[in-house]
Amino acid sequence: MLLNSSSHGRALFIQLARMGDLVQSLPAIEAVRERYPNRPLDLLCSAALAPAFAGTRAIDRLIPWNGAQWRTWADQWSHDPIETLRSVETYLTAIEAEGYDRIYNLNQHARGHLMAHLLSHHPVETSHARQADHGLSPWAQYLRQVVAQRGENRVHLADAWCGMCGVRPRGRAPILDGQEVELPEDLSGIGERKGFWVALVTGAGDPARCLPPEVWTSWIRAFLTQIDDGQVVLIGTGQEREAAQAILEATPALLQGRVWDTTGRTTLGQLLTLLGRCPWVIGADTGPLHLATAVRSRAMGFYFARARVHETGPYGDGHWVYQYATQSQPDSWPIKESIGLICDEGRRAAPGWSLWKSHLDRWGVFFDDGSAPQAKDHQRAAVWHALSPTLDDSVAA
Amino acid sequence: MNHFTENVMRLATRYPDLAASLKAARGQVLTIESARNGSPSARRDGRWIHSAYDPLRDAETWADSHAPACQAGETIVIAGIGLLYHVEALRKKLLPDIAVAVLISDMDEFHDALSARLLGPWSDQILWFSGTPQDIAQTLTATGRPLRCLSYAPASQSEAEFHSDFEQALRRGIARQVGGQLTIALVGPIYGGSLPIAGYVKRALENLGHKVQWIDHSVHARSYDIMGTLNDTRNRQLMQSRMAEVLSQWTLATLAESPPDLVLSLAQAPLTSPVLEHLRKKKFVTAMWFVENYRHLTYWQQMAPGYEFWFVFQQGQCLEAFRQAGARNVSYLPMAADPDVHGPITLADEDRRHYGSDVSFVGAGYANRRRCFPLLLRQPWSFKLWGNEWEGADELQSVLQLNGARIDTATCMKVFNATTINLNLHSTTGAGLDPQADFVNPRTFELAACGAFQLVDHRSLLSEFFTPQEIVSFRSFDEVPGQVKHWLADPSARQAMAAAAQARVMSAHTYVHRMKDLLAQIGLSQPDRIGAVLRGNRRVEALRSRCAADLPLESLLKECPAGRRIELKDLAAQIRSKGPSATLKREELMVLMLDEYRSETRDLV
Repeated sequence: MLLNSSSHGRALFIQLARMGDLVQSLPAIEAVRERYPNRPLDLLCSAALAPAFAGTRAIDRLIPWNGAQWRTWADQWSHDPIETLRSVETYLTAIEAEGYDRIYNLNQHARGHLMAHLLSHHPVETSHARQADHGLSPWAQYLRQVVAQRGENRVHLADAWCGMCGVRPRGRAPILDGQEVELPEDLSGIGERKGFWVALVTGAGDPARCLPPEVWTSWIRAFLTQIDDGQVVLIGTGQEREAAQAILEATPALLQGRVWDTTGRTTLGQLLTLLGRCPWVIGADTGPLHLATAVRSRAMGFYFARARVHETGPYGDGHWVYQYATQSQPDSWPIKESIGLICDEGRRAAPGWSLWKSHLDRWGVFFDDGSAPQAKDHQRAAVWHALSPTLDDSVAA
Repeated sequence: MNHFTENVMRLATRYPDLAASLKAARGQVLTIESARNGSPSARRDGRWIHSAYDPLRDAETWADSHAPACQAGETIVIAGIGLLYHVEALRKKLLPDIAVAVLISDMDEFHDALSARLLGPWSDQILWFSGTPQDIAQTLTATGRPLRCLSYAPASQSEAEFHSDFEQALRRGIARQVGGQLTIALVGPIYGGSLPIAGYVKRALENLGHKVQWIDHSVHARSYDIMGTLNDTRNRQLMQSRMAEVLSQWTLATLAESPPDLVLSLAQAPLTSPVLEHLRKKKFVTAMWFVENYRHLTYWQQMAPGYEFWFVFQQGQCLEAFRQAGARNVSYLPMAADPDVHGPITLADEDRRHYGSDVSFVGAGYANRRRCFPLLLRQPWSFKLWGNEWEGADELQSVLQLNGARIDTATCMKVFNATTINLNLHSTTGAGLDPQADFVNPRTFELAACGAFQLVDHRSLLSEFFTPQEIVSFRSFDEVPGQVKHWLADPSARQAMAAAAQARVMSAHTYVHRMKDLLAQIGLSQPDRIGAVLRGNRRVEALRSRCAADLPLESLLKECPAGRRIELKDLAAQIRSKGPSATLKREELMVLMLDEYRSETRDLV
């Protein structure tokens, strides 16, 4: 990332990663906006995800990143390198002819680094190389260390990105203020009819984080049997259609009328609308959970494999996460416990799982399991003090 | 003035000789009829060459399907004349810097076309080629432009021989010119007859200056064999097929490490159809040299659509069978010899005594050989039989060497060199000679390369490689004893014939020749990819000459060593070698970004 000292020039956030990371960038974007209200602020993100962020007030200009076009250019290089370079130059100039004064490159990916160099108005002090530590900010180095060593980190990724951007978290969860998008006719009743609506994130981008369909079937059966007006919405991409079909087929016929399969049938905008209509969104895939929190829904995560609550738990106040004790595939699932929890908000422990609830404070989001919250508070304070002493002092003051 | 006269006048300004030939032509090979929309259409030998409803729309469709592939700077060579609707449609869709050439395979048909329709100004932008296929091919290759061959099948099929000869001549012409360096992944089999051929192919490609990465699956042969010891057939087949799947995935993973320009497989290479389909989606160019008798090993039927290019050593029905099974490009590529392995050797007297005899045969105990060879016993000359799988051939045990052990290549060469008359009998499961005797086996070329005299069973394709003054063949095994007697008595004629055969192999039938042909064929089909590399277009000098007015690229190429092929990944590696803290120029950053997307092929697995 690179940072020029100008406080009024145009700034650019670069976030080329997937949906979960993009949503988790919002606290940093909003904090920077709050700190520098007069600085024009642009966001470069994947073209496929851009529509969901079109209404974000903190962003002046949303620049869709066209990865497919870059792939075409890479293929075209061998035929005509001259024309390829010219096309790339034209594309970059269209993004920002003058270059940016300040660039916030959140993910330490090679493409982000390269774009930071290409779009910066000033010489960039960070490395353009893959996997290089050279030029990384203290926060970036800290995150890299967390990824490599795991350890007892309690600073949420979204808040660490605030630190990387030189701002402290606002202590509020970001909200996406998009307009409702019209749903397919047969799905339009979702959330509109009376009932206890719960959206289930059927699959996950990382196959290791997918819940087996039979677990979802058990969850649905238990929930719909227990809650008379319960309604379940299955969400997911086209890749999850098969799993959703298996879940539906295994669900007792009498309950099937209360299960809505939307997998593979929604655009990103429609997905946001769906999530916003369901008071609870439950799943193992962090991306949709983050999206849900940004449309004011409550999120409950089943975190296992490599997912870790303290780093990527749902951002905001009052979300819940069941974290599996080890990185292996769970052999039992908190089905009745999670159902009980969303019904009455009472903590229910499940064997093999720890249970965490999210809160917001001056250093952003944190999760507590009901035991000794002070100790964890200290760990976060220590990190902020070490990596952003100025910000830490200002908070203390 | 009628259409013909007007058209010929138009042509005569650029092609006076062609105009004269047209005036001498009789025409009348096409039957001109009005299509439903009133345009002239045509039949040849009763078959419609253009649509009977709307020839213009028909031609537009054909042109639409081919125009997107045509690249700037190429010459598009069209086979098939008809009434030239398709030529007109394609010409109008292409930019002026793409040349369009038409092969005039039949002057009478061209005469009919010019009589039926008035050519417009578009025809002034066409290159018309008449003459022998060889002359046309030579002229076109001499231009140095990338060639892309298209066929308008309804019109070209009546001149199939002309076009086949043209394609072959073009392939040879391009093969002579090829010079660029390709990176080729060579996928070999786990075991079997195609395994040594993989080695010969590797050496040939390297001799031609290409970089070869041999994905050698023979290292897994022992495991494969052990699975073969399972008694339960179902379990055995299951395990062996699972292993082939794993090796297929292994191949994929290896390719992902460093994506080549071409993936060339030899018969029995463990690449499954799903993996081939995956490679196709990832835009890998794949080719298979199927060095097996297609009638005996038939797994190609399932694999045919998987490879982009097939090469087979049989012709005629074989080519058609592959096409019907879904092969997109199938070409004839006969076997050959590797002079580094197959050549004359000087033997010590003891070796000569041990490996030598008047007559010998090296090979496995196929049914026809078991049936024929007893005829060679109890003769006034000595006969030695070498090879394995002769169990149960009791009558032949007296002449079987080394207790029927498998003969390795080195031993084989000693036998070839020590033997006066080498017998070469193609295998078949029947009683006598191969009833469908088309292809010529590698042994024929290998013996010839050794300068060894051989008697070979007659093959329909033999005359394509050797004259009767170079190799002697027999059409019935009953002829063999008489032939042996005759040639044993005439050493000088025998040696002259063997020397002539050896010279022929060295000049035309080595694996280097075959690989040149193979690459030329692929280059011809892909003038903008493999073809461009083969023409040397990716060499740093060629790139520099193209970017005379382009400063960013010129600056990138400044540090590239002369004579090297430079691709995006090479430039990126050169830039990265400057270190992580180097200050990079804008164009260098662009190259690194492009390379990030290029390297997505690493997601192959």
